[in-house]
Amino acid sequence: MREENPSAPLVEMRGISKAFPGVRALEDVSLLIRAGQVHMLVGQNGAGKSTLVKVLCGATAPDRGQILFRGKPATLSSPADARALGIAVIFQEFSLVPYLDVAQNVFLGREFPGKLPGSINRRRMHAEAGRLLQMLGTELDTHTAVHRLGVAQQQMVEIAKALSQDARILVMDEPTAALSGREIERLFEVVRRLRREGVAIVYISHRLHEVFELGDWITVLRDGRKVASMSPADTRMAELVSLMVGREVDTTYRHRFCERPGEAVLEVRELHAENGLHGASLRVHSGEIVGLAGLVGAGRTELARAIFGADRITGGEIRMQGHALHASGADRGPVGSVRAGIGLVPEARKTQGLALIRSVQDNLLLAALRSLFPQGWYRPRHASRVSTELIGRLRVATPSPRRLTKFLSGGNQQKVVLGKWLTAGSRFFIFDEPTRGIDVGAKAEVFGLIESLVAGGAAVLMISSELPEIVAVCDRAYVMRDKTIVGELLRTELTEENILRLAWHHG
Amino acid sequence: MNLSLADSGRRPALSADVATLAYRVLAVLLLCAVLALASEAFFTAANLLNVLRQASLVFLIASGLTLVILTAGVDLSVGANVALSACLAATAIKATGSVLLGVAIGFGCGAGIGLCNGLMVTWLRIPPFIATYGMLWVLNGITYWYMAGDTIHGFPPGLRALGSGHLFGVPVPIYLMLAFLAAGTLFTRYTTYGQEIYAIGANMEAARLSGTPVRARLNLVYVLSGAMAGLAAIVYLARLNSAEADIGESLTLPPIAAALIGGTSLFGGVGTLTGTLVGSIILTLVLNGMNLLAVNANWQPLVTGVIVLIAVWVDIVTRQRAEARA
Amino acid sequence: MAESAILRERSHWAAHFAAIPGVGYILAAMLAGFSLVSPGFGTWANFSNIGVQSSILLLLALPMTFIIMSEGLDLSIGAVLGLCGVVLAMVLVDGRGVGLGLAAALAVGLAFGMVNGALVVGAHIPPFVATLGTLGVAQGLALVITDGRSVVGIGDALPALYASTWLGVPFSIVVAAAAYFVFHFLLYHTRFGAYVFALGGNRDALVLAGVRVNAVHVAVYALGGLMAGVGALLLTGRMNAGHPIAAIGMEFDAIAAVIVGGTSFERGNGWLPGTLLGALTVGVLRNGLNVLAVPSSLQVASIGVLVIVALLVDSMRGRS
Repeated sequence: MREENPSAPLVEMRGISKAFPGVRALEDVSLLIRAGQVHMLVGQNGAGKSTLVKVLCGATAPDRGQILFRGKPATLSSPADARALGIAVIFQEFSLVPYLDVAQNVFLGREFPGKLPGSINRRRMHAEAGRLLQMLGTELDTHTAVHRLGVAQQQMVEIAKALSQDARILVMDEPTAALSGREIERLFEVVRRLRREGVAIVYISHRLHEVFELGDWITVLRDGRKVASMSPADTRMAELVSLMVGREVDTTYRHRFCERPGEAVLEVRELHAENGLHGASLRVHSGEIVGLAGLVGAGRTELARAIFGADRITGGEIRMQGHALHASGADRGPVGSVRAGIGLVPEARKTQGLALIRSVQDNLLLAALRSLFPQGWYRPRHASRVSTELIGRLRVATPSPRRLTKFLSGGNQQKVVLGKWLTAGSRFFIFDEPTRGIDVGAKAEVFGLIESLVAGGAAVLMISSELPEIVAVCDRAYVMRDKTIVGELLRTELTEENILRLAWHHG
Repeated sequence: MNLSLADSGRRPALSADVATLAYRVLAVLLLCAVLALASEAFFTAANLLNVLRQASLVFLIASGLTLVILTAGVDLSVGANVALSACLAATAIKATGSVLLGVAIGFGCGAGIGLCNGLMVTWLRIPPFIATYGMLWVLNGITYWYMAGDTIHGFPPGLRALGSGHLFGVPVPIYLMLAFLAAGTLFTRYTTYGQEIYAIGANMEAARLSGTPVRARLNLVYVLSGAMAGLAAIVYLARLNSAEADIGESLTLPPIAAALIGGTSLFGGVGTLTGTLVGSIILTLVLNGMNLLAVNANWQPLVTGVIVLIAVWVDIVTRQRAEARA
Repeated sequence: MAESAILRERSHWAAHFAAIPGVGYILAAMLAGFSLVSPGFGTWANFSNIGVQSSILLLLALPMTFIIMSEGLDLSIGAVLGLCGVVLAMVLVDGRGVGLGLAAALAVGLAFGMVNGALVVGAHIPPFVATLGTLGVAQGLALVITDGRSVVGIGDALPALYASTWLGVPFSIVVAAAAYFVFHFLLYHTRFGAYVFALGGNRDALVLAGVRVNAVHVAVYALGGLMAGVGALLLTGRMNAGHPIAAIGMEFDAIAAVIVGGTSFERGNGWLPGTLLGALTVGVLRNGLNVLAVPSSLQVASIGVLVIVALLVDSMRGRS
């Protein structure tokens, strides 16, 4: 690792380590942040970037390690401490108040006092806000209510807000995620301008060409560790890619791949949906585990929700085992999908997949009520039998079917969500990040269960941000970008590099 | 196989519902003991039956309301619903002499109002407390206008028996209470609809994503709440032998109080009809006690208000503690 | 239009006017309609009447706007007004001055407002339940201390004050106008007002900015109680007595005024001029129906329908 640049660092993070229950988010990470420099932070989902940012802005305390400000140790026990040091973070969800105007948002909590007690000196507030925006090269009427601004403009307001607090270190988390063409150019100009002013910028991005266009220094994180740190001049995109990727998969997750896929269980043609999805086409056959890869924001969850009917479809066709889905009124939405035999294991299992205050048994049987009790009469004894048998089959660690699901561990909760669809007799399963927040042992179990599903003739579509998983487990994979499917990779072509190549290429 | 971490093998001694019920039954016994000591008029058969009869009237309304609260909703219009349904039913009975027609109209009116509430919530997506609050005022307005200050009284003995009659020495409304307790418990515990309603209250989005027809079930509970109000209206008619525009005045808060005291959580997914029954009894005992001790009747709305606040606060604290344990 | 066009909106007033035409048009339509249908409507005396009748309503609708902007509700404000009214009346009957009576009324109102705030913010009780409970408590207290009867014999000072005119404008309208200006200043020219927008719009932003959010939140409820006290002054003056449950139902009119005026329950979208228009709309509706000899009960029903229509229009115009 070659370190250059003579000026002393503004902030030094030394040996930062942080663990959450079940996962080591950061392991001995050190980096230097210098004034007047754009420091690019790259890495995959789960590499530790957001945890590092949270430590830097005082939202989380590290287990080990030190933060030095201008060479002296600093304690960041709260966001206020970080602000006092001049550290400002712009997250992807802006903290703006929709019905206040630009100036009021910029100076929220730090308004200039007017003549009467409690009043605001609006003239001065608007003048100052205008000045800051001008410095950013943006022309905005500071009297505009923020909810009427586009995302790019709201971002400018956030930046102005940070600057108004004399931020000397600005952290930007995926700033171009919601922007398009010219807006991105504008943002780059602003970043360059700030750099000239001597502001230190920490910039997180998935878009590698941005790294080379804008960055002065790059730090690569992988699995919570810093694996490389260099100047853009000393590396190439391919090297960055292989640094970010390339994790050893030490467990064999899949035992037998699908040699001869059966009939097409699910066919999607030119699907458009209200959530932004457009022109998506894919097919999943019986016996297959098909992966769905892409970066954050590529549209994978949107596709899953559109297929399941959770979001409204505006065009295109879905066929489940030959029958058109969401065709007529009664069949629309999740009710029709479930009846047709589709099961969705959502990404947010606690808020969307389970009713935590209800028992394991109740959760397991919810999707199958109509098929288990067609007359409408619920028989507790039969229910108990079915759920006990399922708990045994899935090896859910619970002392009783009546235990509330909120007391189960993540892995067991996931099994309950999966079990819900087994009881319902689903033939097509959509898994959205099935192993997120689950420890290694349970991961193997989950994949084992998925494999037994397809061995029995079911079809599976699996969304995952962990590329090694997709490569190790799936028979094929589709790659998404910008809310549509941009490519398909067959088993022979399924490598992490190929996935990333399709996922990143800028249109 | 791999028994993952964090899952203690500890099993709760009593299921949560049974424990909730036990505490409340204890409260009933305690109240009875206190009142028996405080007033010698309390522990007589006549008074006890009176208490139960009052409680059953509240319970009839509260039972449907419980279903709504189970879905994390609320129906503030039940009192006004009773008033309008009673007045319309009364008109029908006086006009045609047919009790059956009156019952049908009262019931139908109540259910129809319930359906309007349901549609406002599911179709227009108006938050339940606003929708039913608006409905409360609309119904009040219509009822007062319709009655124009008059009273309708004098109903056929067949109807009166429903409210004032006795069977084997026990007032008829108590039988109704038990009947609807049984029906309601059957519905919530032994039908798939009941399971779905609890699921919707526990987590509406998860239920939706599990294929539960959420809108249909929500409409159902609001219709049931309205229908029970309509039914209660008939019993009130029978009991008071008259119908006036203001009979719903004091019927908005007590059913909610009864359900909440009985352990039904405003946040949804928790609660039983038995609990609501016990809650109705507790509330009636308190009010009865105040009567016996010659406390000014004007204190009653105040006490009911305080009880509601305490019940909600207990609910919130219980949830917070359960949250901390998880 | 998310594109990078330069927005040159002159002021948020213009924006609001274009964005919420509803209440303005409804009001105009009603004024026109009633004037055509009944000759007794369009007189100066009648408009003055409308103003007087709507003044208490406005006093309640102003803090209700703040409360609804914070995604809350205050159902107890009518009952509290009644209680403050009887307290005021009892002080007057006791021979004390109007000033002392007003102070007592304000104190009672403020106390209830603070209790509401404590229940909602401190105990996290959903606002409609919390205020439903305090409604019962306030109503009960009022009934108990008066034994259900009016408190009469309040002397001449207050009725005289009520009947007085200031530069030709009736006292109640002066009070209501003053209250409007105070609230307008609060909302649009003070830090507190900006924070009220944030309560419903993005509470986290306030927390991050280091503002004492809970204090602001409790304060909006406290304001409600305080204004109930001011309203009691007018109501007791008008009725020449203190009646415990005379104001029950006013909270509904106040809520209707706020909703019709365009304030919504989400995202901190509030418009105080809209509340003024909404209060006038409700006042005009009541007055117009009165002139047409429509019974009071049906008037209430129509207001309910008005609210539902306003909500419908709101939801149809899109939830952006």
